[in-house]
Amino acid sequence: MGKPKVAFYWCASCGGCEEAVVDLAEDILKVVEAVEIVFWPVAMDFKVKDVESLGDGEIAVSFINGAIRTGEQEHMAKLLRKKSGLVVAFGACAHIGGIPGLANFVNREKIFDWVYLNAPSNDNPGKIIPQEKTQVEVGELTLPKFYDTVYTLDQVIDVDYYLPGCAPPPDLIMKAVEAILSGNLPEKGTVLAPDKALCDTCKRKTTKPEHASIKEIRRVHEVMLDPDRCFLDQGIICLGPATRDGCGERCINANMPCRGCFGSTSRVEDQGAKFLSALASIIDMNDEEEIKRIMDSIVDPAGVFYFYSLPASMLRRRLDI
Amino acid sequence: MQIRVGVYICKCGTNISENIDIDELIQFSSRLENVAYVKDQPLLCSEDGKNFLASDVAQEKPERVVIVACTPKEHEKTFRNTLLRADFNPYLFQMVNVREQVAWVTADKAAATEKAKAYIRAAVKRVTLHEPLEKKEIECNTDVLVIGAGPAGMEAALLLAKAGRKVYLVEKNSFVGGRVARYEEVFPKMECASCMLEPKMDEILHDENIELITSSEVVEVLGYLGNFSVKIKKRATCVDKEKCIGCGACYEPCPVSVRNEFDYHLSDRKAIHVPYTGALPNVPVLDQGHCLRFAKTDSAMVQEALDLGLITQEESENYKKQDCTACQEACMFDAITYDRQDEILERNIGCIIVAIGFELFDPSVLPQFGYGKIPEVYTGLEFERILSQTGPTGGKLFMKNGQEPRSLAIIHCVGSRDKKHKEYCSGVCCLYALKFARLAEKHAPGAKIYDIYADWCVPGKDNQEFLDSLKEKKNVYFIHTNLPLSVAVKQNKDSLSVSCVDVSGKENPLAADMVVLCPAIIPARDTSRLSEMLLITSGRDGFFAEGHTKLAPVSTNIEGVFIAGCCQGPKDIQGSVAQGAAAAGQVLSALVPGRKLELDVIIAEADENSCAGCMTCIGLCPYKAIMFDKEKKIAVVNTVLCKGCGTCVAACPSGCLTGKHFTEEQIFAEIEEVLK
Ligand SMILES: Cc1cc2nc3c(=O)[nH]c(=O)nc-3n(C[C@H](O)[C@H](O)[C@H](O)COP(=O)(O)OP(=O)(O)OC[C@H]3O[C@@H](n4cnc5c(N)ncnc54)[C@H](O)[C@@H]3O)c2cc1C
Ligand code: SF4
Ligand code: SF4
Ligand code: SF4
Ligand code: SF4
Repeated sequence: MGKPKVAFYWCASCGGCEEAVVDLAEDILKVVEAVEIVFWPVAMDFKVKDVESLGDGEIAVSFINGAIRTGEQEHMAKLLRKKSGLVVAFGACAHIGGIPGLANFVNREKIFDWVYLNAPSNDNPGKIIPQEKTQVEVGELTLPKFYDTVYTLDQVIDVDYYLPGCAPPPDLIMKAVEAILSGNLPEKGTVLAPDKALCDTCKRKTTKPEHASIKEIRRVHEVMLDPDRCFLDQGIICLGPATRDGCGERCINANMPCRGCFGSTSRVEDQGAKFLSALASIIDMNDEEEIKRIMDSIVDPAGVFYFYSLPASMLRRRLDI
Repeated sequence: MQIRVGVYICKCGTNISENIDIDELIQFSSRLENVAYVKDQPLLCSEDGKNFLASDVAQEKPERVVIVACTPKEHEKTFRNTLLRADFNPYLFQMVNVREQVAWVTADKAAATEKAKAYIRAAVKRVTLHEPLEKKEIECNTDVLVIGAGPAGMEAALLLAKAGRKVYLVEKNSFVGGRVARYEEVFPKMECASCMLEPKMDEILHDENIELITSSEVVEVLGYLGNFSVKIKKRATCVDKEKCIGCGACYEPCPVSVRNEFDYHLSDRKAIHVPYTGALPNVPVLDQGHCLRFAKTDSAMVQEALDLGLITQEESENYKKQDCTACQEACMFDAITYDRQDEILERNIGCIIVAIGFELFDPSVLPQFGYGKIPEVYTGLEFERILSQTGPTGGKLFMKNGQEPRSLAIIHCVGSRDKKHKEYCSGVCCLYALKFARLAEKHAPGAKIYDIYADWCVPGKDNQEFLDSLKEKKNVYFIHTNLPLSVAVKQNKDSLSVSCVDVSGKENPLAADMVVLCPAIIPARDTSRLSEMLLITSGRDGFFAEGHTKLAPVSTNIEGVFIAGCCQGPKDIQGSVAQGAAAAGQVLSALVPGRKLELDVIIAEADENSCAGCMTCIGLCPYKAIMFDKEKKIAVVNTVLCKGCGTCVAACPSGCLTGKHFTEEQIFAEIEEVLK
């Protein structure tokens, strides 16, 4: 029997997740040795038809990163699904929508208006915006359909496992690869990371008072951040309590609060709403006006609470536009 | 997998059937997934209805039951009990309110029927997700905590002890008796206060059922009726009450002399002392705040104060820690040990009676009376001490210069019945003002006594007579003024001038050697701290709020916590003692030995394997049921204290807390079905 076939693909993403694979450093050699890579547009010259020519389920596992925002991405995700035994949603965007998912606060029209017409850096006298079909001399040119809404991977195809993070850290990737190769896999649908909140391993937890109580909410650029003290205790919004552990506190160690890229634990339906209710319970104020003032001091609350998880949340997208 | 759900629809006479198409509901419900059968009943909560339900459930053996009827507030308990009769776990049941929420809120039968269908669909879905919950019972603790050993608290403690109850009587002071221990005589019968109190205080000291815990304060209260646990902080007094015989040999040699707060700073005491002769228990207290061995002031600070000339060299010695053992050496019974620490005592009890008494309004807030500035202006409580045989003057009516006053003015309503200060009438001032007039007349014969009053408040059997008896006295002058008082006290060269406009508008310039103010009675200092700790509410004026002004005067909003005496509002000793007795009665009827307490089963559960220890939930619980286990670094729910309010469940950002019977799954299923 030959080596198991593996595919990597990217959808709406920044490329960081591809970096993460390369970031495996010498470990990548182990992976390459153990598997046969059949598709990896970023790094190797394969064509779609190469995938199409494979039998159904022939690929052992496809790692797909990025959210789904175009017709082409959906098409490729479906193709890979058909050809693969396992599909792993790789990284925050495939898992919960990620940063591209913030586009769900607007719609296609708004995005095109800004990106192609109104942004001050534009030079587009013909006011040309992308069309799905354009007739030119040699025939019809097509572009993939740009959706109104950004989707998580599991909103368009069946997903077996999730590797969370922006981007997933090397140790979790290696663990996942080892589990797949050894067949030692958890229940389908599992997020391949610890199922506790980040505070569990955060070294700042020891400085957190038994009942954190916030009177002012501040933003990171407004204060000198104490590198050892719990962010929430400094009045800085840290999504750590509502975010799955496993990232190795990359942001925290860089003296930045958690933004929530690992998504929620398995027990939580909506990361942003959960964090909001947790935050509401530690605001140390009884006067309604004051509470309103404190909460109003959060600039872009939806964007803060759903920094990574808007498409996966109960809200999904903004409707009144 | 199919789960057998039985649906029972009640017509509630015609209350429900008049406005909802029952046949349609039956048809609709029987088509729902999992529904095994649907039955309707004319009146399910009647005896016939309940009997039918019990026997039908026993026969049909459903796995879940949905009852479509009225509000669960009215009959959820009824039906749970009925289901229990059929050996059916009462939590595998869901009630649908189609009366208050549907039939009674619209006349549109078609719309009502549709709404009822949505509710039934939701309940059927939800009930399949229910888990059986088991009831738990605990023994009810019949011991009682009484806070405050004034007349009200002592009465309650004694009555309860007589009924065989164990009582923990916690008193902040080192002695019992409350304010009344400071009085010489009490109105209206001018009884000797100490003769009246002493037998009671003695009983308190010797009753085996009473554990008197003096120099102590309650610092933590957890739990509820029948099951409170409390922490009591006992100040270290360094004197062993078992060994001390109260001989008093230790005060004399103590080198530290400070003002005696018991006498409102009108006399001096030593660092080791009893507050007054006759204080019970008769065991001295070593006041670590002033004892040289415990001097906390660090020498740098003392040096600085010396350098700044704030204290003299001689005084500075007093601030330095010294290894003084004078009192220990003087004690022949080895009762004094210096290495005592404050202790935290833990007690479990079933009820709490709060009787922490009152404070006086600070009259220096009203500068026209000169209190705090003019030496011969006193408050009522200070004057009590001057009149007392155990007080600073040994019971002689003397001014600070040691001379008897030739004239005295008593001013009523200082701060009381005043919109700007205390709106209420303090109730006892008129009568103690009369008591003062009577005593002053006795102690300083011939002195002129001016009683400046705005109205007379002397209700009750004996009090009018008391007032009339004083009106007959030749040297007692009553001056009737209006409110707000237009009275001003000024210091003249050798006496005070009291100017006062009477009701006729006439200005009365009076000369008085001494002025006694009757300030408003206000809540004791610890009232707000205790109301937070016990979760009991206070009224507008800060006194603890009673359950009902007329019908529940000693109850509070919290079951198992009662109030008595002046902490509920101003009153005299008789009223305070009556409330103490009433509270004892309440406790006796609330805590019956042998009766079990049923615990809530719908409570929160913490998953110790998934808790990240983020502590978001800690401190949120209104019942203090959630605690942080510092060793395991996780949240723990005390299942006895939890009332299942769900506050912590909503707060946990990583979903480690589950509200039993209100799981996320159950709630979402219900919402989804309603909205379908
Ligand atoms: C000047 C004056 C004269 C009066 N003369 C008379 C009179 O002649 N006749 C009459 O009938 N009434 C008189 N009264 C009213 C009388 O004093 C009260 O009715 C009575 O003292 C009320 O009793 P009590 O037990 O409610 O409170 P208190 O006597 O105030 O006793 C409360 C006790 O609780 C203790 N305590 C307070 N806080 C705490 C705490 N946190 N923990 C533990 N213990 C605590 C206090 O140390 C005190 O021992 C007079 C009042 C005043 C102001
Ligand atoms: S809130 Fe943030 S900073 Fe504080 S302990 Fe949790 S992860 Fe660490
Ligand atoms: S700290 Fe938060 S945002 Fe940063 S990597 Fe970790 S999970 Fe992501
Ligand atoms: S549900 Fe939580 S907050 Fe509510 S009583 Fe129980 S432990 Fe306390
Ligand atoms: S909020 Fe949740 S994770 Fe945080 S301490 Fe409480 S139970 Fe644990």
